[in-house]
Amino acid sequence: MKIVVGLKQVPETTNVKINEKTKNIDRRGVSGVINKYDRNALQTALDIRDVVGGTVIAMSMGPNDFAVSLQEALSLGADEAVLLSDRAFGGADTLATGYVLAEAIKKIGGVDLVIMGQQSVDADTGQMGPIVAEMLGISQVTYADEIQPKSDNELRIKRYDDNIEQEIIAKTPLMLTTTGNAGKPEYVNVVEIKNSFEKPLTTWTSKDMPVDSNRLGQSGSPTVVRRIMSPEPKERAGKMLSTDATKAAEELAGILHEENLLAEED
Amino acid sequence: MTDIRENWIFAEKSINKINSATFQLITKMKSISEIPVTVVLLESQADSFENEIKQYGPDKILTVKDDELDKADDVSVASALSGLIDKFGTPISFIFAATTFGRSVAPRLQAKLLTGLTADCLDLSFEDDLLVQTKPSYGDNIMCEIVIPDFKPQMATVRPNIFKAEKVFDDTTKIVEINDLNWDKDANIQITTHVLPAKTDENLATADRIVALGRGGKQDLNNANELANKINATVGVTRPLTDMDEFDQSQQIGQSGETVAPDLLINLGVSGSVQFTAGIENANTIVSVNTDKHAPIFKQSDYCFNGSSEDFLKALNKVL
Amino acid sequence: MDQLKTREEILLRMVKSFTENEVAPFDSEIDQTRSYVNNLLEKVHDAGFYSLVTPEEYGGAGFDGRTSAKVLNILAKGNASIAVTLEGHYKSVEQIVKYGNDKLKAKYLPQSADRIIAFPMTEPTGGSNPMGINSHAEKHGDSWIINGDKIMITNGGLAEIYCAMVKTAPTELSFFVVDQDMDGFEFGKQEKFLGLTGCPIGEILMDNIEVDEYHLLGKVGMGPEIGNSAHDDARVLMGAVLTGIMEHQLDIVSEYATQRKAMDTPIIELQTIQRKVADMTIAKETTKLLYQQAAIMKDSGQDYEQEAAMAKAHGSRAAVKSGDDALQILGGYGYSLEYPVEHLIRDARAMELAEGSVEKMRTEIALIEAKSRV
Ligand SMILES: Cc1cc2nc3c(=O)[nH]c(=O)nc-3n(C[C@@H](O)[C@H](O)[C@H](O)COP(=O)(O)OP(=O)(O)OC[C@H]3O[C@@H](n4cnc5c(N)ncnc54)[C@H](O)[C@@H]3O)c2cc1C
Ligand SMILES: Cc1cc2nc3c(=O)[nH]c(=O)nc-3n(C[C@H](O)[C@H](O)[C@H](O)COP(=O)(O)OP(=O)(O)OC[C@H]3O[C@@H](n4cnc5c(N)ncnc54)[C@H](O)[C@@H]3O)c2cc1C
Repeated sequence: MKIVVGLKQVPETTNVKINEKTKNIDRRGVSGVINKYDRNALQTALDIRDVVGGTVIAMSMGPNDFAVSLQEALSLGADEAVLLSDRAFGGADTLATGYVLAEAIKKIGGVDLVIMGQQSVDADTGQMGPIVAEMLGISQVTYADEIQPKSDNELRIKRYDDNIEQEIIAKTPLMLTTTGNAGKPEYVNVVEIKNSFEKPLTTWTSKDMPVDSNRLGQSGSPTVVRRIMSPEPKERAGKMLSTDATKAAEELAGILHEENLLAEED
Repeated sequence: MTDIRENWIFAEKSINKINSATFQLITKMKSISEIPVTVVLLESQADSFENEIKQYGPDKILTVKDDELDKADDVSVASALSGLIDKFGTPISFIFAATTFGRSVAPRLQAKLLTGLTADCLDLSFEDDLLVQTKPSYGDNIMCEIVIPDFKPQMATVRPNIFKAEKVFDDTTKIVEINDLNWDKDANIQITTHVLPAKTDENLATADRIVALGRGGKQDLNNANELANKINATVGVTRPLTDMDEFDQSQQIGQSGETVAPDLLINLGVSGSVQFTAGIENANTIVSVNTDKHAPIFKQSDYCFNGSSEDFLKALNKVL
Repeated sequence: MDQLKTREEILLRMVKSFTENEVAPFDSEIDQTRSYVNNLLEKVHDAGFYSLVTPEEYGGAGFDGRTSAKVLNILAKGNASIAVTLEGHYKSVEQIVKYGNDKLKAKYLPQSADRIIAFPMTEPTGGSNPMGINSHAEKHGDSWIINGDKIMITNGGLAEIYCAMVKTAPTELSFFVVDQDMDGFEFGKQEKFLGLTGCPIGEILMDNIEVDEYHLLGKVGMGPEIGNSAHDDARVLMGAVLTGIMEHQLDIVSEYATQRKAMDTPIIELQTIQRKVADMTIAKETTKLLYQQAAIMKDSGQDYEQEAAMAKAHGSRAAVKSGDDALQILGGYGYSLEYPVEHLIRDARAMELAEGSVEKMRTEIALIEAKSRV
């Protein structure tokens, strides 16, 4: 199988604050890491490859320093890596990012399986998988918890979610997005890091793909972030209920119903 | 494609019922805009979920009766939804619950329609026809205000249980039944099992509701168990109680126990030592019961009952 | 892409997440059970940590002094014992690289990926005074016969290969590499030490061990030079370990002091607490600068003996003092065996002794300084 894994480099901690002066996100001293769900995506791809054979190509759109994460993916066992980097890609929202990723996957050609993390931990959208799948015109299974190859072109997938548990048999070509349960990410081996430099890591710009410049970067992005804010700190109100137990219980029951805090009857 | 002055909401089904997030969205959209609210419902011929949805007073329900769409995969559903837009026109907004299903179908549809989508919103408002969406990022550490000025529908997924659902009693909802919708079935996906999840183990760290007992509540274990059963909660304890035969270490909340993040935590006879409260900061709503009016736990609680846990439990078990 | 920089960044990312997931959560348990619980050593081995400084031509990763020190700094923030276990191994590997002949290197350096190497010098009659030792080797044709006992060896009992210092003449010190599989090799007892309790510290007994000539490190009589060189390398790494311990202390103290309230304000608002936290921060940062400077000098081929000694001499006392401040800030809880503060003091205290007592290091620092000025 030819498998592409989408990787995003994200800040190592999501515990970030807004700088009061610049009104921007303060990223001082915060370095990048591979988005944690993408580690599950990569491991899933490596596990499938090890059973059915094939190649794993790690792909990332982002500035040049994202190359470190691709090199890390190579150290972890990916066979090739592609960095999609161009000033014109900057400021992209999910739609414009998905467009570039989809075009790059088309350029690679013959891809059977694309795997992405269920969401990135910074933007937290989870939209990239379905967007790219739609643009490629392939099927999708999102939030996959367990994945096993059934044959050369079929996967058996389990998803457990709060509401519904599913088992799915999916044929390639396919987009998968993985939860934190999928694959057991391993640590980079200290010695393998240097060997990864023998594997190909290529950079493609907008000139390397037949892209429509109107659909790139900021101009290709329908969403506009108008403002970023700090969340209101959670203050506990400490509201005293009636000192009469029966009255207090009634008050509380009403509040719990109103605030959707009680279990839904199944 | 023509534009229509409507806000659409996708009715999400769990097995055999409508997800309550749908009702919450109807109430919210009606309260923030004059634009008519249309609910889109996909169901089998035999079902009639429109009757339930109607009670929340949307202006219109588009009911697509199709047995095959009832439990369909994301791709088929996205195809059906874009078919509806082809048929009826492009609404001003199209809102989904930010459930696994909503978060999977909405971006697929977004990419078909080439419009914008904001994920997991915590608040929505309108400035004229512009939908202002507030979404968290960086694991809820930052809030962003996002708009989609030049494209329609303005799409969003909204986190469940943020808004309240309210029933209305006027019977003005128009129901439009569609029996001839064209959509592409995804032949590559075969869903072989589709069931309610098995009851998971009682696990404090992931529990949605917790009843916590402290030294002042330990004599009321039976009443506490009854409450826990009623509201489907997991029982946790403070450290001193782990010495009792009834409890073990895995049930301890706090710094040297579990860090919990339930929607609802009810503390019974817990004083509120730092070692305990270190484990409950991420709880959404905290209710505490204590005989001591000055118990430190009250400073960390949303709702407080100053009295004995026995009285409180008996009364609450009666009303629930 | 700068390849070396990228290699280092990928490595440090891994070490951080390894420390967070596999080391830090078990810190107290390691201390209390005096063992590497949860298969820690196996995981450390499988991630390739043993090969960190082994040169590439021998199958290692060949990272330099600066990077290996940073790795131990990060690991020590999770648990100091495991960092010291690796420190003992790395400095031993480095001496084989520096002083081993080709045949010895070809034999043992590839094995360093799977087998820990230790560096026994101390004996009951000789610690700070190496000439006091009794172990000795006698030449018999093409081989040497080694006799003697070694105590207080970092990783003693865990390591499988030992670079042992022995007398080859009454006033002549030399090093030989011996293997636990050799006839006449035995383990003695384990020390019951106050701190770094996860790291095995123990004895070996050498009874008529026969080794080939190529097991000699360097040349006969090079013992003092090799011993000093091992100390220098170890001290750079210990500066890093001490920095990690202080970072751990600062993490605990920061969380506590911002949450704990006195009269409704967090105690971090109190000047007495601020004074301690500031001192702890300065102590951590100066130790970090010292070990990094020593490592940079080492990597660029300069003399780093004095810098390495300062990193450890300063860092060890600073970390004990900083631990004492941390204990005080946590009040009664700080004195409790259930909080990890007290064991950080015990861990740090070991490094005022191991790899040269602070007194001996001060002598070296003073003499180097004075000589350079006259
Ligand atoms: C704070 C913040 C809030 C934002 N909110 C929105 C919003 O509400 N709506 C919107 O349209 N845009 C939003 N964006 C911009 C958006 O640009 C995304 O960050 C970007 O398009 C990537 O999508 P994602 O991070 O949401 O990825 P997700 O869809 O969450 O990622 C899923 C998976 O896709 C893969 N993937 C994601 N990005 C890449 C990449 N660059 N290269 C390779 N694989 C990748 C990874 O496997 C990843 O785990 C926001 C950005 C920020 C920083
Ligand atoms: C290192 C360390 C780690 C620790 N870790 C934890 C931890 O992880 N979790 C933890 O819980 N503790 C922990 N502790 C213990 C902690 O300090 C407290 O001792 C403990 O939380 C107190 O438990 P409590 O609230 O049940 O009991 P108490 O403090 O005795 O409080 C009992 C409360 O019940 C009230 N009460 C009495 N009778 C009634 C009644 N009939 N109805 C209603 N209220 C009544 C009283 O007014 C009082 O407020 C730790 C301590 C140390 C030193």
